[in-house]
Amino acid sequence: MRIIFALAVAATLLSVARAAELTPAQVQGQQLFRARCGYCHLFGGTGTIMLARRLGDKDSLLENRADLDAGYIRTVVRGGLRSMPALTRVEVTDAELAAIAAYLTRAREAPAQ
Amino acid sequence: MKLILPPEASAQAFDRALERFAGVVGKEWVLASDEDRDTYLDAYAMGDGSDHVPAAAVAPQSVEEIQALLRIANELRIPLWPVSRGKNLGYGAAAPVMSGTVVLDLGRMRRILEVNDKYGYCVIEPGVGFFDLFQYLREQKIPLWMSVPGNAWGSVIGNALERGIGYTPYGDNTSKLCGLEVVLPSGELVRTGMGAMSGAKSWQHYQYGFGPAWDQLFVQSNFGIVTRAGLWLMPEPEATLRARVHLPKADDIGWAIDELARLRLRNVIEHTFVFGNYLHDASVFSQREQWYQGPGALPDEVAERMMAHYNIGWWNFSLTLYGYPEAIRAHAQVVRQALEPHLGQELEFDSWHRGEPIEGSGAGIPGVLPLQIVNWRGGRGGHIGFSPVMPPDGQLALQRFHRVKALYAKHGMDYYTSFTMGHRHINNVNLIIYDRDDPAMTQSAQALFRELIADAAHEGYGEYRTHISFMDDVAQTFDFNNHALLKLNETVKDALDPHGILAPGKSGIWPRALRGKRT
Repeated sequence: MRIIFALAVAATLLSVARAAELTPAQVQGQQLFRARCGYCHLFGGTGTIMLARRLGDKDSLLENRADLDAGYIRTVVRGGLRSMPALTRVEVTDAELAAIAAYLTRAREAPAQ
Repeated sequence: MKLILPPEASAQAFDRALERFAGVVGKEWVLASDEDRDTYLDAYAMGDGSDHVPAAAVAPQSVEEIQALLRIANELRIPLWPVSRGKNLGYGAAAPVMSGTVVLDLGRMRRILEVNDKYGYCVIEPGVGFFDLFQYLREQKIPLWMSVPGNAWGSVIGNALERGIGYTPYGDNTSKLCGLEVVLPSGELVRTGMGAMSGAKSWQHYQYGFGPAWDQLFVQSNFGIVTRAGLWLMPEPEATLRARVHLPKADDIGWAIDELARLRLRNVIEHTFVFGNYLHDASVFSQREQWYQGPGALPDEVAERMMAHYNIGWWNFSLTLYGYPEAIRAHAQVVRQALEPHLGQELEFDSWHRGEPIEGSGAGIPGVLPLQIVNWRGGRGGHIGFSPVMPPDGQLALQRFHRVKALYAKHGMDYYTSFTMGHRHINNVNLIIYDRDDPAMTQSAQALFRELIADAAHEGYGEYRTHISFMDDVAQTFDFNNHALLKLNETVKDALDPHGILAPGKSGIWPRALRGKRT
């Protein structure tokens, strides 16, 4: 578990370095994602492990997904999914959830290059 | 979930209460939609959670707002269920005992008010999570270590108030509380211990104060709302030595508990630790169907395969020595002399010295990986824990192990257990893992749980903490002199909370008007 934590920190630092490529709103969404969802959904996290079992390694890290949409993210966060508990509007406000969704859907929303 | 009204409120009175709550905290912090109610249900309920449905939630940000909410709740008879962060997973999470109770969510009160590195304490609000405090200590480079439970998603104060456990020498988290600030059901604000003095300079230095000490009255109780607390933190040691120990045979528990109890009692081993069976590893790193698809509890031959696969024992535990290098090297020798003759091999200790990355130390580092176990059965997973307190005696532990394992087999559930070693006791944490949406399985889980309560009580063991569905059952087992303790608790309850608005049913304590709800 300690090794996983160290790797998660390393992954965080790497992503911070990449944050320069994000818009200010996406940076805010990224910070919120890490603070509120990162317990389980960074590298080595319990949510990542569960997703890897169900969907394979490629789709297990939410930050790397290109197939998520804001409505689906909202449904899962407020309703829970399988072993993931629902999150209240105190833990993640609607505005924070919108920012997180904007970050996680950035690849889908990006204009074609 | 559909709205279930508080038992003493009409629909009109309830609507009026929500409007007045909104006048205190702002409309956005009164959470009363169907979806909101669902987010406060027990995430690990045995079924859909419809037996513990909150009527709404309200989230204050200050003591003054809590006091104003209590005035309204008293006037309109609206019961409130305080939660710190609502992550009491396995014990009901944020859900109340009584349907129709409004959750008082303190998650917005998340200030770290003080950290004192010279004397090793912090003063924090209930919404501060383990990750929050850990990050703060790291960012500020404060050399204090936290005691962290297996699931660290929750609140530092909430965990201590539920008598949660961590795994450093400060692991008896309740015992490290030093000074509480509490709003009583009447709305009056009280500080315990030395904090009862205006201008007190030693609130976080001495736990008792003058006269009766009330702190434990606010632990696992419904007598007040804790709005801040002092908590002692451990000064970073100069070094640690850590050893992982594996015991190959189930019956090794007999000699091992005796040897380990001697080391704990003499403070050679200074920390609480999990003495857990093979399923701890297997349920985190795999799922049941990878090992066994048959009915009933896991057969012992599957246990043997798991042990071989993960290179672990039937029982496994980690010991850490904390302190000056010379001292812990000497203690390591004592540990070796106690365990190696039984093990037939040398213990291997990993060393850490201050300045090295703390991931290699015995520090408490927040994580949530153990939550992985709820995925053991697949589907929508959950668990509850039955955790009686025992003397740290090898023969008693051996007997208890065989007895409880047989009960798990009788009900067809996989035996997940630990004999978590405290200073002079064992918390025998038995987890029952289930698929929430399999009615036959959750029925078996409930039947097993009730039989465990009765069986342990018959043997003289009571639980240290329990799920909201079983608080009455467990409270009834503390029955000396015709339930004199419960009568005392309810006498205090009626005196402090005459309208019975605070957490009815918590720990089996019901206010006078609602005692008919006792199950």
